[in-house]
Parts: sequence; C-alpha cells; structure tokens
Amino acid sequence: MNAALGLSLVIVALAVLAAVEGARTARRWRIGRSARVDWRTGLAAIPKRYLVDVHHVVARDPYAARMHALAAGGLIAGSVLAALGLMPPLGHAHLFWGAVALAFLVALAGGAMVGRRRYPAKPARLSGGAFQRLPLLLAAYVGGALLVALDAASGLAGPLGWLGLAVAAAGGFGLVRQLADGPMRHALAGALHLAAHPRPGRFEGERATALIPADLDAPRLGVAVPADFAWNRLLGFDACIQCGRCEVACPAFAAGQPLNPKKLIQDLAGSFKAEPPTYAGSPYPQAPPVAGLGGPERPIVGAGALIHPDTLWSCTTCRACVEECPMMIEHVDAIVDLRRFQTMELAAVPAGAIPALSESRYAEEPGGRPLAARTDFAAGLPLPLIAAKGSCDVLLWLGSGAYELRHGRTLRALVELLRKAGIDYAVLGPEERDCGDLARRLGDEATFADLARANIATLSRYSFRRILTADPHALHVLRNEYPAFDGRYEVIHHSAFLDELAADGRLALAAAPAGRLAYHDPCYLGRYNGETDAPRRLLDRLGLERVEMERHGKRAMCCGGGGGAPVSDVAGERRIPDLRMAQVRAVGATTVAVACPQCAAMLEGVTGDVAEVRDLAELVLAAVEAAPVAQGAAR
Amino acid sequence: MKTLVLLSDARHPVSGRPAPTATELQAINLARGLADEVSGLHAGPDAEAARGALGHGLARLEHREIPAGHDPLPSLLAAIGSEAPDLVLAGRRAGAGAQTGLLPYRLAEALGWPIVADAVALAVDGGVLEVIQALPKGARRRWRLRLPAVVTVHPAAPAAASFALGTARKGQVGAAIGIPAPLDEPAMEERPYRPRPRLIASAAAGAGAAERLRAATQAAGPGGRVMVDPSPEEAAQAILDHLRAIGVLKPASGR
Amino acid sequence: MSRTRRDPREEREARRLDGNARPRWRLDTPPSSSRLRRDPRREAEAARVPGAARLRLDRSGRVAGTLAPPPIAAEPIAAPTIRIIEAPAFLIAVVPDAPGGRLTPLDRQLLGAARLLSDAGGGAVLVLSFGAVDGLGAAGVDRTVALAAPPGGDPTMRTAELAGLLAALQPRHMLFPESATGGDLARRLAARIGEALFAGAESLTARLATRPAGNRHVEQRAAPPRLVTLAPDAQLPHTGTVHEARRLEAPEIAPAPAHDAILSVEDLPVAADALPLAEADFVVSAGSGVTDFELFRELARALGATPGASRMVCDAGLMPRAAQVGASGTVLEAACYLALGISGAPQHLQGVARCEHVVAVNTDLHAAMVERAGLAIIADAQQVMPALIAALKAESQR
Ligand SMILES: Cc1cc2nc3c(=O)[nH]c(=O)nc-3n(C[C@H](O)[C@H](O)[C@H](O)COP(=O)(O)OP(=O)(O)OC[C@H]3O[C@@H](n4cnc5c(N)ncnc54)[C@H](O)[C@@H]3O)c2cc1C
Ligand code: SF4
Ligand code: SF4
Repeated sequence: MNAALGLSLVIVALAVLAAVEGARTARRWRIGRSARVDWRTGLAAIPKRYLVDVHHVVARDPYAARMHALAAGGLIAGSVLAALGLMPPLGHAHLFWGAVALAFLVALAGGAMVGRRRYPAKPARLSGGAFQRLPLLLAAYVGGALLVALDAASGLAGPLGWLGLAVAAAGGFGLVRQLADGPMRHALAGALHLAAHPRPGRFEGERATALIPADLDAPRLGVAVPADFAWNRLLGFDACIQCGRCEVACPAFAAGQPLNPKKLIQDLAGSFKAEPPTYAGSPYPQAPPVAGLGGPERPIVGAGALIHPDTLWSCTTCRACVEECPMMIEHVDAIVDLRRFQTMELAAVPAGAIPALSESRYAEEPGGRPLAARTDFAAGLPLPLIAAKGSCDVLLWLGSGAYELRHGRTLRALVELLRKAGIDYAVLGPEERDCGDLARRLGDEATFADLARANIATLSRYSFRRILTADPHALHVLRNEYPAFDGRYEVIHHSAFLDELAADGRLALAAAPAGRLAYHDPCYLGRYNGETDAPRRLLDRLGLERVEMERHGKRAMCCGGGGGAPVSDVAGERRIPDLRMAQVRAVGATTVAVACPQCAAMLEGVTGDVAEVRDLAELVLAAVEAAPVAQGAAR
Repeated sequence: MKTLVLLSDARHPVSGRPAPTATELQAINLARGLADEVSGLHAGPDAEAARGALGHGLARLEHREIPAGHDPLPSLLAAIGSEAPDLVLAGRRAGAGAQTGLLPYRLAEALGWPIVADAVALAVDGGVLEVIQALPKGARRRWRLRLPAVVTVHPAAPAAASFALGTARKGQVGAAIGIPAPLDEPAMEERPYRPRPRLIASAAAGAGAAERLRAATQAAGPGGRVMVDPSPEEAAQAILDHLRAIGVLKPASGR
Repeated sequence: MSRTRRDPREEREARRLDGNARPRWRLDTPPSSSRLRRDPRREAEAARVPGAARLRLDRSGRVAGTLAPPPIAAEPIAAPTIRIIEAPAFLIAVVPDAPGGRLTPLDRQLLGAARLLSDAGGGAVLVLSFGAVDGLGAAGVDRTVALAAPPGGDPTMRTAELAGLLAALQPRHMLFPESATGGDLARRLAARIGEALFAGAESLTARLATRPAGNRHVEQRAAPPRLVTLAPDAQLPHTGTVHEARRLEAPEIAPAPAHDAILSVEDLPVAADALPLAEADFVVSAGSGVTDFELFRELARALGATPGASRMVCDAGLMPRAAQVGASGTVLEAACYLALGISGAPQHLQGVARCEHVVAVNTDLHAAMVERAGLAIIADAQQVMPALIAALKAESQR
C-alpha cells in the first residue's frame, strides 16, 4: 500500500460518490414535463457541441477560456490517469506518475487562475458563497494529488505522499459535495444539457430563435409551477455556472430594472428544490420584495412566490443573455413561458400592456388604429394594392411602425427607392393585420395564433416572390415563426434588399457625407436572424465614416424597444435607450444608423447630447438623390 | 352577493369586429371586487361579443335569444326575475346599435330599483351599496343606497382585465329562448355617418362683453402667438390673459 | 365690404386641430388668408333676424352662424334692445345643467338650438331650472320657471317634477344637454314616462334631428321626438339680441318623494392637484426645464390646475410616476395644457394630442412644444413661475 494506490482508490470512491450525487440531482428533473430528446445523437454530439459551440461562446473571454481549459482538462485528465494507476504495470511506473503529476500541475495552474479571478476581490458579475470556496477545493484536490503523483514519480514514497493524499481526499470530497447543489453541478448538468438541449438546431448552424408555439389545448397554459417546465428545461437551469455573462449583457439589468437573468435562472433552478442553495450573486436591481417560497408545485411568479412579476415584464426579449450564455441556457423561452401563464391564465399583465393586447385581439392592430390607415404615411407615393394587382415580385410588409411619423419617413424613403430601382412591389393595404409580435412576446399566444392564421390566410390568396419589410420584428415573425402555422415565405429585410439592389447596380449611390456614423444592430435582425453583414456592406457603399460601438453585431446592446417592454414600462434607474445613445456618442458618432422602427422610436426619444437617428433607407435615399441624375433607373 | 352584468352585442369601434365594450368589462371588474363569481346577461340574436367577456373575468353568461331588432327589456326582466341578483351593472352605452344608454334606466324603472350612473368604485356593507360616481372634470359624488339597484359604469373606473384564454375556456354559457318583443315605433332612417366639424365656439362668445372685446383686440386671438424674451411679469400677464381668453381661468375678481 | 375669393378647403385644413383621429376644426380663429368665396344666399339666411315675420337682415354679423367673425367691438356700445315674444305659438323647454347658477358652454349651445327651433315657428324658449341661473336673457331665453326640487342629491324628485311640468305645460320639445347631469336626467325622465329619447343629437331642426350611432359609423335621422339631448359642440350658442327671460310661476305639481332606497348623496371634495390626470381639465406640467418643484406645485395650486410632468422629470423621481404625461404615461383630455420647460418629444406630444389649448414656456424657440402651442413664451420657466404666482396673488387681493 502506498499513497499513489491510495489516490487511485480515493478517486474511484469519489467517482462512485459522484455518481450517487448525480443520480440524486437527475431525479429532481423528473418532475418536469416530458420532452422529446434524441439521446443517441445528443450524447454522441457532446464533444463537438462542447468543443465547438460552447467554446465559441467561452472564447469571447480568453482568460476564462484558458482557465477552464486548464482546470477542467487537467482535472479530468489527471483523475482519469490516476484511476488507471490501479492497473499494476502502470501503478508502478515512475514515468506514468510523472504524466499524472503533469496533468495535475496543469489543473493547478487552472485552479490558480480561478483563484486569481476571485481573490483578492471578485468582479460583481461572479457569485460568491460556495463559488469562493471552489478555487480552494480545486487547489486542495489537484494540489494534493500533484504531491502524491510527484511522490510516486520520484519513488520517494515518503510522508509527503500521504499528506498529499489526505489533502486531495478532503478537496475531492468537497468538490463532489458541490455536485448536487454547488458550483460543480454545472459540469454534470452542463454536459447533459448539451445532449438533451431543447433547441438542438442551435448546434446545427440554425439560428433557432423562433418561440415554440404554446399548446393552447393544454389544461394549463404556460408555466405556473416548476413542474410545468419540460424536464430538460429544468436541467438547463441547473447547468448555470453563475458566470454572470448574461447579467453583464442584459440591458434591463444595466438600466436598473428589476431583472437579472443570472438570478432569474438561479431562482428557477432553486424553485424545484426542497432546500435551494443560497444565492450569492447580484440581486434584481430594486426589485419589490417577494416571499421567496418555492417548491415543485408552488407558483413561481408572484409577490408570494419567488419572482416578482416586474422582473418578468422587464425583459425586452433581446436574447443577449442567450447569446452570451456558455451553458446554452434559453432564458427567453423561460421568460415567455412564465409570461404565457400570467397572461393567458391570470390576465395579470402590466397595466400599460392591456390596451395593446386588447386592440391586437379586437382590432388586429396593437394601437387600435384602422387597418386602412396603415398606408396613410405614403401621402401621395404610389402604393399599389396586391388585391388590385393579384401578384407582384416584392410584397412590402409595412408593420405597425407605418402608423408612426418617424417610421413613416423611413417607409417613404424605402418606397421611393423601390420606385427608382423599378421594383414590382405592392402592399396588402387594409388586409395587413399586425404580425402578432407584440402579443406573442407578452405571452398572449392565443391572440398571436389568431393573427398568424388570419395573415397566413390572406397571404395564401396572392402570389409574390418574396416579402420585404423594414421591421425586423415582423421579419422574424414572418420568416421564423409563421412556418409553425404553415406559412412559409421568403422574407427579406430592407437592409439586405437595398444591399442587393446596390450590388446589382440598380441603385446608383453617391457619397453622402454624414459625419461619423455608427450602426446599431436591431436584436431581431442581428441576434435573431444573424444578419449583421448586409447593413454594414450597404453603409460602406455610401462612403461614410463608419465606426463600431463596443457592443455590436450579434453582441449589440438592445435599444429597449422589444418584447413589449415599452408598453409594460417597468421603472428602472435609467432608461435603456439613453445607455445605448451614450454608447453611440462614446465612439464619437454624430449619426446612428438604425434598421428598425422600434430602435428609431427608442433612440429618438433620447434627449440631450444625441446623435442623429437615421434609418438605412433614408441614408440610401440621400445617397441616391446625391448621385448624378439619369442613373439609377431600372435596367 | 349576486351581481349580474349586462352585456351588449358590441362591436369594436374601429375594426367593427365583435368585441366586448370597455365599460362593460370594467363593470365585470368592479363586480369581481364584490363577489368572486360574476355572471353576465345578454339578450339578442347571438352572443358572440358577449361571449368574449368570458375571457375578461366573467364566470358565466346567460344568453336569451331574441330576434334581431326586438326589444331586449322583457327578456332581461324575465332573466333578472329568475336570477334574482342583488345588483345589476351595465356599461355606459351599448357597444353597438343605437347606443342611447337608455336601457339601464328603463330596466331600473321597470324593476322599481334605484339607478346610479357613471360609477367608478363600489362597496357593499350590510345590504347598503356605496357608489362613487364620476362627474365631469374629475369631480366625485358618493351615493349610498339599499340594494337591489342598477348601476352603470364610467370609463374612469379601474381598467378591465385583459383577455385570458384560460378564463375564457372555463366560462360557461347558458342559453335560453328569450321573450320576443317587436318594437312598435318605426325604425329610424340610417345613413353612413359623416363626421361633421365640431363647432368649438370661441370661448369669448357668450362670455361677457368686456371679455369679448379683450379677446378681439388680442393680436391674433389664441393661435400660435410667440413672445420672445418678455420680462417674467409680462410673460405671466400674457399667460393669465390667454388662460382667461380661452375660458380656463375664471375672470380676475378685480376687473 | 370686399368680396375676395378664398379656398375653403385650404382654410379648413389650416384650422384643423391636429393630433385627433376625428377631424376637428377650430372655428374661433378668423381665417388668415383673405380669399373667401361667399355664398350670399347662406349669408342672407344667417343674417336674417330671427323671429321677424317679415324678412329682415342684420348684416352686422351678430347673428349665429355667420361665416365672418363677429365684429365684437360694436356690441357694448348700443344699449341692448330686448326681444319680447308675447304670445308664443309653442314652447321649447330647456333644462340646462347650470352648475352653481352659471350656464355651461353646452347649456349655451343648447339654448342656441332651442332658439332656432322656436324662431322657426314663432315659439318661445322656456328654461326649467333648479335654482336661479344668470345670464339667461343674453343666451336667448324667453321664459324661465324655477323648480322646487333641490338641484343636488337624489334626482328622483327632479325627474318627477319634470314629468309633471311636461304634462302641465306641454312644450313641443324638452331639451337636455348630453352631459353627465343632463343626460342622466333626460334618461330618467324618458324611462319614467316611457317615451322615446333622441340622445346626443348633432343637428336639430323642427323636422329632422340626426345622431351618431353604431360607434359613429351610422347616422340615425328622424323627426325629433319630445325628449332630445344635444351633443357638445354641435350647435353655436345664441348671440345677438337679448331675450326677455321672463320669470313664470311654476305650475302646481304634487311634490314627489325621494326614492326610498337612496339613503344619501354627497359631493366629495376633490382638489385639482389630487385629480387623476386623465380627467383633469387644466394641466400644468413640468419638464427638465423646471428645477424648483416646490415652486411648481405652488403654481399648480394657485392656478387650480392639476400638476403633470414629462418622463424625464418622473424618471428622475422629481414627480410621481402617476404624473407622467405622454405615450407611456397619461393621454390627457384636458382643455388646456401649460407646459413649462418641456421640449415636446413625440412620445410626450402624444399625450397632449387631444388638448385644445397648449401654452408653452421654454427657453428654446425651436422646441417642438413651442410649435404646438397657441401661446409660446420664450423665457426661463424658473422665473416665469414666481411671476405667475405673484400676479395671481396680486389679483386676488385687489
Ligand atoms: C418608448 C418611449 C416612451 C416614452 N414615453 C414618454 C412619455 O410618455 N412621456 C414623456 O414625457 N416622455 C416620454 N418619453 C421620453 C421622451 O422621449 C423625452 O425624453 C422626454 O419627454 C423629454 O422630457 P423633457 O421635455 O422634460 O426634457 P428635455 O427634452 O430635456 O427638454 C427640456 C426642455 O426644457 C427647455 N428648458 C431648459 N431649461 C429651461 C428653463 N430654465 N426654462 C424653460 N425651458 C427650459 C429646453 O429648451 C428643452 O426644450 C418616452 C421615450 C420613449 C423612448
Ligand atoms: S445563465 Fe448562463 S450566462 Fe447567465 S450566469 Fe448562468 S451560465 Fe452564465
Ligand atoms: S432577453 Fe435581454 S432583457 Fe431579457 S433577460 Fe435576456 S438580456 Fe435581459
């Protein structure tokens, strides 16, 4: 008997203990609803999903990526190797123990990085409590094991080995104890979550951002209690490592509204446990107090439960949290599921959202305005109705922004450009109903489904090649969410469309000086649809001085206009568009180019030191008008 | 405490689609503050709009079927007779049709019950109903009356609950044949409505002669006047004069 | 009198009150351009002196309905001649709201309509009022009867008294304002006597009345029944000749008891600054340009206005959230909006779209609120506020 053999045995024992803890953890997910999971593909795909998809996210923070690779890689390699030491020829080979020592050395370096991140002071986004103990346990386990391995490799078999074994055993036991309800849970749940992910398409190169339709015949609509979540959603919540990346990305959190996606996931993870572990991260800013009572069959949302409704309604559904989450957790799905219950069962929507929902339902337009007035913005510009033409090449979907003065200017510019490029376009006119985006994000799936069906029935009567829209929300709904209702269309955003026209030479552009310009990516175009290049290409054709904000592309910050947040209007300490405008000004831009009616409205509402808000269509039109005449006509 | 809410065959004012009317939904809301279960009552050819109210907090709907154009009053009276509510609530005007707002009054008259219009809050204590009534310009009046009673609801009452599919699915509809009551008066001639310009009489018109004189001598009267950099006193006087000219402030006592 | 040509469409557009789904026009301002196409027939009709058996035209423009603005200055000079209708062919009874004995604008419009109805056939306008009312003669009233029932409290007694008068005096019509009080009383009476009510008439002649129905999608037309309520701003008030407003003794009517189920009716005191914004009639509102909120609240109290604020101010916690005016706050129905240091962002302007009058105080001549305002003061709100308070104080001491 020597310390090395002891280490091997301890590791095997720890593995058995870990398996028991793991089973205990997994049993808790069984309270959830069933979900269809392709286990074979999922399990086989774990390495690829981990090494490619997760790494893609983690690598945005190179320090964390290195830290995790060293700590996790070294720990797993060292432990597996050390367990193999039970095999006689290996167990006696000095060289083998040398290799084990190397692995644990690597892990120790990783552990040191974990420690350095948290000591002497941890950044606000990271959780404390058990997480502060993690580097210590890690150091004990891998440091102790390193001693044992060194001891064995050098053939000393001295007291240092036994000391190392004792420390390693203590640290290892501590780590395993963290498996069910501590930081180490992420390892187990995270791996399984990769296999049983509710949106496997995310790993197949799909954007997979469409909300999943609610079953409107279910006995209970939406999610009221933890048991209403599918089991793999509960698994997902348990995968959270409390890295706080979502917290940093969340616009509502930044604005001091009572939402913190990290705490939200922790509350959900705790909701189905008898004794939820204490949470030691940032709270929901300024959240009204709640009772804090959870349980598998207890309501999640409410002043007497875990999560205050204000938290739920603060979310702009911008998906920044989802985009940043290394554990691939789907925050927005969870939030919308919770909202669905609030809206469709309890009618407990924020006061400001009631008129929007009622009008969506009874007037098929969230502002309650006449559908025929949607084309009023055109003021003289020809807007042929598809009903009169029967068919067209490009069907222009106007969206609810058409009623607003600001977006009316954008649409006029767009129509002007269509004319100049000689496009065969038409609109639905009074037959265009709201696409249902607002109702759906506010959890009113019933109204959304009605609107979707009605629009799809209308669209089926006409023939057109593709749908063009200047509203990314409508784009997302028509392109990604109507297919679940059997409406399949080729939908193109005006940024891509105008870029196409310019590339084809159908629009002649001249440089239109506008000073420094920054492009603000709409969430529903960039993150939801991955379209970040076309708008930039288009802008670069205009010969402007374009600068990037720190947060741009798929990681851009939301303007605050999505998810019904403007109508829900949960109070915060600051306002999201003000923060975004400050970011525009921080890079010295005097113009901010937008590509969405919501973004335009939100950013235009900012006062003080502001950049001019121009839609892409307006900028392009200015460039076309600056171009020498006789060009730009249809070929 | 049994409360019945009268529901009209309402149409959305803009879209024209069947849609429960706001004050009727607000009535449901007020009623739910008095009792857990609120029933609705509709007499008419079909109850599509009234059925919509089930999604806004109504537990049960009684539908009395009568031919189009018939007077709903006899059917409503019969239903109220059998349901025996303590309180009947109604909207301010029906959500479609002639919209005279007369029905609740005729009902109260026929029942011999007191009626209070434009309620914004209700409370019941020992068979006595307290109604807070909204009057123009935010004024309020408190009524105390012995039940049973008829009360109509004002738009300033607390907002109605939003539509919830879950509640709508649970709601029950009781249908029965109502009492046919053809109207004897001839139907009124109807034409498409053409909005006529509102005649906003000048505030000066009808006011005292002195004020009219002042209004006439003011530069262009109320309408786009700009004063650049006046002294604070000049500015204050100009504002007060303007407020008087438009009739918002009472004439100064001293003049 | 120059007879120039005008483009009425353009003029009407210019006077259109913006920000309203339903078109509304401001008719008080004289048209700014001088091109006016005139209709001599209509003018003659309008200038026809009402009631005169022979055709008499009054070109001074004092008669209701002229196209030209009334030349007001001419009015106070001549001693008013009083028109007396000795033996009317019929009576048009009017029950004005007249809170506190003062006619409301709608009351005046109602009397204008009643005047036209009676003058069309040699009738007389009879006012039935609960309590004394001022200025009836100038508003075109020939006879008045003061009723016995108390003006406040349970309307049952008033209803019964009106029913009795209707039977005793047999007026051709009994007109009510379509207001909270008048509309309620008219409906009570109609239900009591089981008669038809023509509710919310927008035009009213002896032979034809029209009213909107079906959510203002259809117009109902009929010969007016006895009971009619008149919609606001549909008729012009009577101007011009003063009428006699002779007091008549009320006929003997057995007093009706109050409804025995009604235990009490009392008015609740509501201070202007405690009103819900949505119902306020006069709102004074502060934006980022206001720094002293004690002063601002004092000003609101002094003006008897309901205080509001822009979102900037509410976000900063300087005024409560409930005070926010605008798209995400309250959309006002107020007659007048006094905006102090508010830039007029689109979301804010949505909240005042339905306000008839806007007054702005702003240091920036180019602020959107200045453009929206009927009276704009380009000055520091911080200094105008104390001046306003001082001016109001000085007036009340005089
Ligand atoms: C979705 C959305 C919804 C919104 N909803 C609302 C809403 O409902 N209501 C709302 O109000 N806002 C709303 N906003 C905000 C709105 O866009 C503006 O930011 C806000 O109305 C500006 O408030 P303000 O006019 O007080 O401030 P500012 O825009 O800063 O204007 C201050 C004004 O005061 C003037 N001024 C400065 N000093 C003085 C002085 N000493 N004397 C006189 N004048 C002075 C300045 O010239 C300026 O015009 C919304 C914004 C968004 C994006
Ligand atoms: S939810 Fe994801 S991003 Fe947020 S803290 Fe947890 S693991 Fe990190
Ligand atoms: S979707 Fe956006 S607003 Fe909502 S929790 Fe995630 S980051 Fe925050």
